[in-house]
Amino acid sequence: MTPNRRQVFAGSAAIAAAMALPVQAQQAPAAPPANPGFYRFRLGGLTVIQVHDGINRRPVEGFVRNAPLPEVQAALTARMQPADTLTIPFTLTFVETPTGLVVFDAGTGEGQMSPTSGRMGANMRAAGLDPAQVRAVIVSHFHGDHIIGLTNAAGERAFPNAEVVVPAAEWAWWSDEGNAARTPEGQRGNFANTARRFAPWRERMRQLADGAEAWPGIRAIAAPGHTPGHTCYHVADGSEQLLYLADVTNRPEVMMPNPGWQIVFDMDGDAAAATRRRMLDRAASDRLRVTGYHLPFPAQGMVAREGEGFRFVPGDWTGI
Amino acid sequence: MDRRLLLAAPALLLAHRAVAQTAAPAPVPANLQSGPAFHRFALGEWEVMTLFDGFVRRANALEGLVVNQAAPAVQAALDAALLPAQGLPNPYTVTMLRTPRGVVAFDAGTGAGQLAPGTGLLPRSMEAAGIRPEEVTLVVVSHFHGDHITGLTTRDNQPFFPNAEVAVPAAEWAWWSEEGNRTRTPEFQRGNFANVARRFAPLRQRMREFAADGEVAPGIRAIATPGHTPGHSAFHIGNGTAGCYVTADAAGRPELFLRNPGWHSVFDFDGPLATQSRNALFGRIADERARLCAYHFTFPGTGFVTRAGHGFHFVPADWNA
Repeated sequence: MTPNRRQVFAGSAAIAAAMALPVQAQQAPAAPPANPGFYRFRLGGLTVIQVHDGINRRPVEGFVRNAPLPEVQAALTARMQPADTLTIPFTLTFVETPTGLVVFDAGTGEGQMSPTSGRMGANMRAAGLDPAQVRAVIVSHFHGDHIIGLTNAAGERAFPNAEVVVPAAEWAWWSDEGNAARTPEGQRGNFANTARRFAPWRERMRQLADGAEAWPGIRAIAAPGHTPGHTCYHVADGSEQLLYLADVTNRPEVMMPNPGWQIVFDMDGDAAAATRRRMLDRAASDRLRVTGYHLPFPAQGMVAREGEGFRFVPGDWTGI
Repeated sequence: MDRRLLLAAPALLLAHRAVAQTAAPAPVPANLQSGPAFHRFALGEWEVMTLFDGFVRRANALEGLVVNQAAPAVQAALDAALLPAQGLPNPYTVTMLRTPRGVVAFDAGTGAGQLAPGTGLLPRSMEAAGIRPEEVTLVVVSHFHGDHITGLTTRDNQPFFPNAEVAVPAAEWAWWSEEGNRTRTPEFQRGNFANVARRFAPLRQRMREFAADGEVAPGIRAIATPGHTPGHSAFHIGNGTAGCYVTADAAGRPELFLRNPGWHSVFDFDGPLATQSRNALFGRIADERARLCAYHFTFPGTGFVTRAGHGFHFVPADWNA
C-alpha cells in the first residue's frame, strides 16, 4: 500500500524521530552523491567540517546589477567559468566545539528547493554526522537557501535537538510584514518563508546583537547590505581563527576581484559592497582562514589582495 | 618458499593478504577521515577518478626546493599564494580511468606503508571509491621516481595490481634500466636505478614500452615531456569529443612551478629541458581550455590553467556533486 501525501505528513513525527529516514521518505530516495562532499580540518582544538549541499544554476545575465554583461562574462571566462550559466554552490560549515556541534545556516532542505541541491543530509551521513547531534543552528540571514533547511518538508524542525540563533536585526526585518513595501519585490517571499520556517522554532530561538556570543568561542559580526541583518561569524580557539563569510560574496571568481559589483540578491547594493570590502580586507590583513556559503567546495581557504580587489585562495587538502 | 614459488602463486598470496586484513583491520588513517579521498567526473562515456595518496610536508621550502632561485623569491611566491614556507605540503594524487575494458591507473602511488608516514593511502582510497586492484588492467607510468612506481609492488615486492599490464615510456626505461647511466645522473637520484630494478622485477613479463608521443592504449596518447626525468611522459585521454590531460610531474606545486615555469625543482633531472616541456604542455592546455589531472596539486588535483604573466595559474575544477 502506498500512503498518500497527507498520511505521510501525519506520520512524519515518527519519521523525524527515526531521523535515519528524513524527508525523502515521501519521494524516491535521493541517489547517493557521485562524490560525497565533506571535508574536515582542525582549528586549534576545534574541528571544522565543511558539508556540501549541492548547487543551483542560473543565467549569468541579470546576476550583477551594476556592471555590463560582457564585463561579467569576461571575469568568468578568465577564471574558467562558463559565460552563460552561473553555478552557485552551497556548503555548510559545522564546528565541533567542546560544548557541542553547531552549524552555520541550515541548508536548502532535502528535496525542497531544487533537484540539484539538498544534498546536505546525504553528505552529513557520509561525514558521520547526524542532525540530532547539532546543538545550535547559527543563521547568517534569512534568504531561502539558508533557512529552508530549518524544517523538513513536513514542517518539522530538521535538527531535533538544536536551538536556532538569529541576528536580531534580521529577525526584526523579516518578522514584520510592515517592511514589505521597503523590500525589493523579488525578495518579498522571504516574509512568508520566514514565518513558515521559524514557526516550529519559536520556543527555541535566540536573538543576537552585533558582537554578541552566538556560542562559546563564536561571535557575531554585523555585515549588513546583502540583507538588513546579514551577519558573519568569527570562530576562535586560542590564536586560531576562522571567519564564516556567509554571503559576503557569492562566487569568488565574480565578486572578489570586483568587490564593488552588486548582485541581484543584494538588498542594499551600496551597503553590501562596503561590507564586502571591509570583511575581505579584514580577512586578507589578518590572513584569516575563511569559509563561505557560496565558495566552491570545500569552500575553505584564505583571501589575498589582488589589484583593486581580492582573490580567493582555496586551502590545501591536508585534513585533520 | 623461494622467490620462484612466490611468483608462481600470486593468487594464494592475495588470498593470504585478504585473510590477514580481515583478522586485523587497520585503523582508518586520520587523513582519510578528513574527506572522501576520491573524486569522480565524467569524460564522455568514461569516468575519471582522482585518488588521494596522502602528502608529506617539506621542513623548509626556502632551502633546496627551487634550485635556481634565492630564498626571497621563493618566499615571495609562497606569500602570494598564502602558503607556508615551513611545512609546505607536497600532495600525491593518482588518476584512474574507468573504461569498458577495465580501469587504467596513471602511476602507481607511493605504496602502502613503504614511503614516508602520511603517504601510501591509495589502497584505502581505492577501496572507498569502489575500485579493486584486480580491476586495474593497465598501469600507465609517467616516469620512474619512487613516489610514482613504489606502489607497483607491495612491501614484499609482489604486484599490487595482479591483473595489470604495465606500460612505460621507452626513453624512461632506457635510462633507468642501464646502470651505465649512473654517472650522468644527479647523485641523489641514483637510488632510482635500484628501485626500478626491484619494482619491475616481478613485472617484466607484463611490461611494454611506448614511444614518445605514441598511442599507449585506445584513447590514451603519450606526450613526451622530458626534463623532469629523461623519459618523463604526460598523457592525453580522449573519449568522443571529451578530453583530459594527465600532466604527472611536468609541474610540481602550481603556486611555484606553474606561476614560474622557469623555476627548476630539485627533482628536475634537467632543469632547462623541464622548463621547455612545462611551457609547451601547459601552454597547449591553456590554449585548449582543457581539463587536467596532476600528481602534486592539492587534492582533488584536477582543474584548468590560465596564462598569467610569464607562467600559468591553476584553477581547480568545481566539486562535481
